[in-house]
Amino acid sequence: MKKFALAGNPNSGKTTLFNSLTGSTAHVGNWPGVTVDKREGVYKKTPNPVQIIDLPGIYSLSPYTPEEVIARNYILDEKPDCVINIVDATNLERNLYLTTQLLEIDVPVVVALNMMDAVEKAGDKIDAAELQAKLGVPVIAISALKETGLKDLMNRAYEASGAEREGATVLSDTPVAHLIGDVKIALKGQNVEDPLFHAVKLVENDSIEVEMHKETTPMIEEFKHTFSDEVFGDDFEALIADGRYKYISKNFASAVTKKEKDTLKMTKSDKADKVLTHKIWGIPIFVVILFAIFHLTFAEDFLYLGAIFKLPTLEELGLLDEAGEPLNAGVLILSTLYDGQLSSPGVFINNVWNDLIVGQFFGWLGGLVEESSMAPWAIGLINNGIFDGISAVLSFLPPILVLFLFFSILEDSGYMARIAFILDRMFRRFGLSGRAFMPMIMGFGCSVPAMINARTLADEKERTATIRVIPFFSCGAKLPILTACAGAIVAWFGISNADAITFGMYILGIVAAIVTVLLMRSTTLKGETPPFIMELPAYHAPQFKNLMAHLWDKTKHFVKKAFTIILASTIVIWLLSHFSFNWHFLEDEQINESILAGVSQFFQPLFTPLGFGSQLGQYGWVFVVAVVAGLIAKENVIATFATLAACLMAVVGMDFGKLAIDAEDGVDAVQAMIMATGITVPAIISFIAFNMTTIPCFAAVGTAKAELDNKKRYNGTLVFWLTTSYCIGAMVYTIGSWWWTLFIWLFVIALVVTGIVLWNKYGKDWRKHLWARGK
Amino acid sequence: MPIVIAPTNCLLKIVRIAADDKTKKHLENLGITLNSEITILSCSGGSVVCRVKDGRIALDRDISTKIFVA
Repeated sequence: MKKFALAGNPNSGKTTLFNSLTGSTAHVGNWPGVTVDKREGVYKKTPNPVQIIDLPGIYSLSPYTPEEVIARNYILDEKPDCVINIVDATNLERNLYLTTQLLEIDVPVVVALNMMDAVEKAGDKIDAAELQAKLGVPVIAISALKETGLKDLMNRAYEASGAEREGATVLSDTPVAHLIGDVKIALKGQNVEDPLFHAVKLVENDSIEVEMHKETTPMIEEFKHTFSDEVFGDDFEALIADGRYKYISKNFASAVTKKEKDTLKMTKSDKADKVLTHKIWGIPIFVVILFAIFHLTFAEDFLYLGAIFKLPTLEELGLLDEAGEPLNAGVLILSTLYDGQLSSPGVFINNVWNDLIVGQFFGWLGGLVEESSMAPWAIGLINNGIFDGISAVLSFLPPILVLFLFFSILEDSGYMARIAFILDRMFRRFGLSGRAFMPMIMGFGCSVPAMINARTLADEKERTATIRVIPFFSCGAKLPILTACAGAIVAWFGISNADAITFGMYILGIVAAIVTVLLMRSTTLKGETPPFIMELPAYHAPQFKNLMAHLWDKTKHFVKKAFTIILASTIVIWLLSHFSFNWHFLEDEQINESILAGVSQFFQPLFTPLGFGSQLGQYGWVFVVAVVAGLIAKENVIATFATLAACLMAVVGMDFGKLAIDAEDGVDAVQAMIMATGITVPAIISFIAFNMTTIPCFAAVGTAKAELDNKKRYNGTLVFWLTTSYCIGAMVYTIGSWWWTLFIWLFVIALVVTGIVLWNKYGKDWRKHLWARGK
Repeated sequence: MPIVIAPTNCLLKIVRIAADDKTKKHLENLGITLNSEITILSCSGGSVVCRVKDGRIALDRDISTKIFVA
């Protein structure tokens, strides 16, 4: 099968084109650096199917960041049959800079002039035929988004792939043209492939090339001594860059007709940036947007209308029966939207999903199982083990999707890139560049792609620090822990504002990330903060198709996980909690004699400083089980509670009062844990904090290992996660329980800070001194 | 003068880039080369947003003090 590679500048629409050609749903976002690894698919409408390879975006073939190396090496080493060079027509000159380099390689090239619809919308014109005549390779106007011109593009690429093409350079008018020619002949003599390309890069003094062709470099050095340009001196690299741009503006300017002659005129994007990246207002606007997102997703009392106008509850309106249940189906539906306070859109969707769909469905399914003639233990396994565990996890699909939708909108509109910019000044104080914000915010979705995206960071130490703190940006799988615990705190202790608790926990995670980064960057990962240089894409309205593709991907991932890894884990946990050490089956009431209880009770004391250890009495071990199950997948934490809830309720046999606790709902499962163990609010919050910051799930740990690619760094990372989460948990619990311990913590922190500052200042002298004495 | 103190919204020409090789190369790839034109759109506390060719590029204070225009 023929191989076509998609190459182009970051954010020029390669992945959108890839998706349109292959029918994939790869992640697309409006910021440079979304794709960091190559990706393959198949296009079937050419005479023979072709393989399409989507490459990370590159500004040139001299890489700056690790993911750019992937793209360069692919084109040079894997020798695709054709390179489809995607060019963003709205920024033609800059994009053609890469084109001039691709043309130097001996590979068929086809230029896809993307975003032509945006160019036309602005009233400008680009003459594709003229460009084609000047470039000497086919140029096809397309819109990857609207899927126009794709067939034509692929047919032309297919034709081009049949013929050989020899590299051509645009540098023949520059003072180094002669030198490039000589080096090319020398390389050809050594049977180097793509001699022209390598010759140009060698003259540019590209570090990878110099390493590859050591024997040819003296020739260039010799030439350099005899050469001097009045502007560039002997800086060949700058001279060549200038040569390319000069050629582009001289030869291709005539193909572009601009409607707006005044080049200094502000576009709409520029005007929006005046406000959104404002020196003072930029950060407050960001915080308000973030809070609005959380409020829309989690607020039980939307816009605080209930609290402000003292609206009556359904009970006060006489719409509930004596048991506190809705009088009829109409009231049940109404209750999803209103109960003394208006539900926010997120909560409304959540209520509909849980009260009307998942709750009813699993209730019905559970009933069927109950009435069947299966053995009681089988009924227990299916109803309490499997159904409760899975439904508890599935019940969190709505908040995850709603939250993710908002983040996708921010991402697709182009605002994310601005946030990275406005946060850069702040991040810089902690030893990171604003660029690190991208992988971090991706962490809110899932740590795995976030850690991979950290490849966009050019500095290795910055990358390590970023990968380590990514799990602190609470991912979708940790959201159930947060919502269930916050919901249970609200329901059980009567403290209101679930959205504020959730928002607070997210902020705690971010603060933990900042503090630990600062700590690492001043101790084990010292180094200069790399510069922040980032392209700001033009704002555009989020694409419905894109958003839906993101949500669909997320749903698929989540549901798949629920029915595989989480299903398996809940079954194992149920079995371990129903068998004793000599493999006798146990009734629900005998749970404390189970294998699970025996093992966990052994580790229970470890968590005493965090508030969920020995002080919780004989059933406190459930929290240990949840923590360990969470290491496999974080959804397991709540699934575990749901699986164990039935047993605990059977033993504790409490008066449930008006609360209908049915464990199918994660919030109820946590309430059952609170009843059985008597855990306090600070301890629950410490439990959330510990799970948020401790070793993430299997998948994320594996990714961290692969991305760090250094055994010492990886082990250090595991230790880092454990200590950080333990300290944070202990801090939250002790300060929450006894406020005066705050001073002890402050004292300890002050001591550590002083220690680090002194060590950084005098450490070298001390070591030298000790060493001298030892001698 | 470095672009941090350059006037906003007028066409300037880059005369010197005093960054290390790796950074300089990256800037060149983005179109910030010697002899090329640049327009400063905003400058807040040293962080600069500029227009280069038809793109918008954001730079931190450190790097923008190293790009000189005339």
